[in-house]
Amino acid sequence: MSEAVSERKGGRSAAGVVRSGAGALFASVLIAALCAVARAQAADERGLGELSLEQLANIEVTSVSRRPEKLQDAAASIYVITAEDIRRSGATTLPEALRLAPNLQVARVDSRTYAISARGFNNAIGNKLLVMIDGRTVYSPLFSGVFWDQQDVMLQDVERIEVISGPGAALWGANAVNGVINVITRSARDTQGALGVLQTGNTQGQYGFRYGGKIGETGAFRFYGKAEDYNRTELLNGSPVFNGWGRGQAGFRADWSTGDDSFTLQGDSYRGHGELSAVGQPTFSGTNLLGRWNRRFADGSGLRVQTYLDHASRDDILTFRDTMDTFDVEAQYGTPLGERQHLLVGGGQRIARDETLKSLLIQFIPANQNLRWTSLFAQDEIKLAERLKLTAGAKLESNIYTGWEFLPSARLAWKPDSRQLVWGALSRAVRAPARVDREFFFPGNPPFFIVGGPNFVSEVSNVFELGYRAQPTDVLSYSLTAFRSFHERLRSGALPPATVQNMIEGKSTGLEAWGSYQVTRRWRLSGGLTTLAQRLHTLPGSPDPTGPSALGNDPDYQWMLRSQLDLPAGWEFDVGVRRVAALPVPALPAYDAVDARLGWRANRQWSVSLTVQNGFDPWHPEFTSSGAAVNQIPRSAILSVEWRP
Amino acid sequence: MRLRLAAMLAGLVLTATCWAQATEYQVKAAFLYKFGGYVEWPADALGGAGAPFTVGVMGAEELAAELSQITSGRSTSGHPISVRSLRPGDPLEGLQVLFVGRDDAAHLPQILDALHGRPVLVVTESDDGLPDGSMINFVLVDDKVRFDIAPASAEHGNLRISSRLLAVARRVVGGQS
Repeated sequence: MSEAVSERKGGRSAAGVVRSGAGALFASVLIAALCAVARAQAADERGLGELSLEQLANIEVTSVSRRPEKLQDAAASIYVITAEDIRRSGATTLPEALRLAPNLQVARVDSRTYAISARGFNNAIGNKLLVMIDGRTVYSPLFSGVFWDQQDVMLQDVERIEVISGPGAALWGANAVNGVINVITRSARDTQGALGVLQTGNTQGQYGFRYGGKIGETGAFRFYGKAEDYNRTELLNGSPVFNGWGRGQAGFRADWSTGDDSFTLQGDSYRGHGELSAVGQPTFSGTNLLGRWNRRFADGSGLRVQTYLDHASRDDILTFRDTMDTFDVEAQYGTPLGERQHLLVGGGQRIARDETLKSLLIQFIPANQNLRWTSLFAQDEIKLAERLKLTAGAKLESNIYTGWEFLPSARLAWKPDSRQLVWGALSRAVRAPARVDREFFFPGNPPFFIVGGPNFVSEVSNVFELGYRAQPTDVLSYSLTAFRSFHERLRSGALPPATVQNMIEGKSTGLEAWGSYQVTRRWRLSGGLTTLAQRLHTLPGSPDPTGPSALGNDPDYQWMLRSQLDLPAGWEFDVGVRRVAALPVPALPAYDAVDARLGWRANRQWSVSLTVQNGFDPWHPEFTSSGAAVNQIPRSAILSVEWRP
Repeated sequence: MRLRLAAMLAGLVLTATCWAQATEYQVKAAFLYKFGGYVEWPADALGGAGAPFTVGVMGAEELAAELSQITSGRSTSGHPISVRSLRPGDPLEGLQVLFVGRDDAAHLPQILDALHGRPVLVVTESDDGLPDGSMINFVLVDDKVRFDIAPASAEHGNLRISSRLLAVARRVVGGQS
């Protein structure tokens, strides 16, 4: 271990990343890549005919390169959750829909809280994931994580959710260390007419409506409203937990175009509250407004300008009492350079005013803070040869705590034929300090046991990835990714009074695999597996009494299998099974969950479904970071009715 | 290990020869091929086992060429697929699918008249919404090929469109026309 530390002090090159241990996982992907070479010669070129309907309809994605790109060509570990997948999963909330991505770890902590991460470090206050809804960043600069109870969309109007595991920092900036989630709702043109949804079950109730219409010749709008409430979860010993909650949200979206310009204007407003308990009633609310302008030029270049305002407020007398107002503007310009290159450049500015109040457990000093991020990025896609593409890019991003951060990446993609892709990537990503790292004091009043680290700097990850994607036959497709991440300067603690420090480092290694198989015209199987091995340690001299376990509680593996079956007369029967391995510290046993859905499209207007989640188990716990008061996630049944007049 | 990485990268560079890009018509052709699997024709409309499944393409030479390439040697529900390039006024006997391209869209009313309710899946590509009588209409949305479906028009030709195809459609158009 000390050898690894000294090596790290000497700096690390890309070759060093590889040298310090290419395990069996890398070897297996390498072999897959070599097999691809052999098969390339014999393969025919009728590729598109072998894609499924959904794949054809979604033949482009936008997140990886920030411009439309076919999924098969993306040199990253990207999984796209389609609208059809969401519908057939019976998911009623955004976090539940995210369970469909094999490359995410989604754990429900209690009725209101989720721990969601990719490639480890999972925690209810996890901080290495960049999450966006229609291009608006929704993680809180307070702790670089997402308050999942504050994020919602009309799931029926979601077009797709793109989930990239691995670093996306060179395009998306600090925080995109372990993954990027981009929730993309449909254009208003695609949500015309009325829709009513009613869902009721033993753990929750939800209703929503949407109406979409036209604006003139080329424009369209929609507005929607929804309300829901969720029952308490329980502890195994039966003592009550006052964590039932409810929320309401309304919003709109308008899309229109004139000639080469297209515009989007959208906004949402929400309000929610928890149960009244001895420590008061937690509440939250927020409003956002976003505008986007795209212009396409005759020479194939394009310009995109986007700006938004976001107000988010949270008042929990026990934990966070916070009001954040954010203004963001960004622009990007993409242009072909000759025959072989495509250049993308852009920049952005985000400013936020954060105001906090002292809670029972937490105080921020100073209470209020002005935050500012400035960023510039450039990325060049170079066709090195007919089948080989190099994407090199970097982002410069500044924050008020550590100044400028440099975030480069290089991706190489080789396409032996239209049905296979081999790719590799090297990236450097950082998680810039959040307020919680620098200005956090616990408890709310002195004497403090934990104080923010005035010298806390960015956490750094250098990541090496190798991937292979293929569609070897008409009905089968799969993706394999192996990664190794080298982390430095991770957050560590100390004995009380503890100052937040950067004294943990180590590596994560893992495999991500998924695939789908169309067994017959009416029966589709899909599945996924991720594995993770983390070797983290505190540096010599660190006074941290807890060690790396404070950073996350991650299973060694998880797998899932889903079956979608079309029955005659508009009936559908879908089953999902998943297993999540045991959590190490604090220990939590492995669990299996079986979800099933029976749906019936009665006619064009009405469809009904019954979804049972966790069918073979009255309850199971999914996550804990303290080991105490572990919430049980119960079996649930949800009856859902949709009406499209 | 450093050498192995270098060798692999070098290998990747050396063996590279072709980077494919899909065009609008390639995707549309792939969809046309796929549609056959998600639509039910009346039993007598398909002929006996081994009888060809014929897709007519009018006013879109490029698409006809792509479709021939995609479907060569392939079959749908046991029927070998044949592609027939058509001009307005050509006889429409023996077709299971008819694609009417932009260039010949003006002839659609006469074509529908000539089909006279026969079980032929009529597919169009109008940018101004689903034309009367068309069963499936391609549209480009955000650089992706999507399609709208009019099940009522399909029923008029005694065709049944599967719920799976309806689910992928951008829009299912209601009006009983």
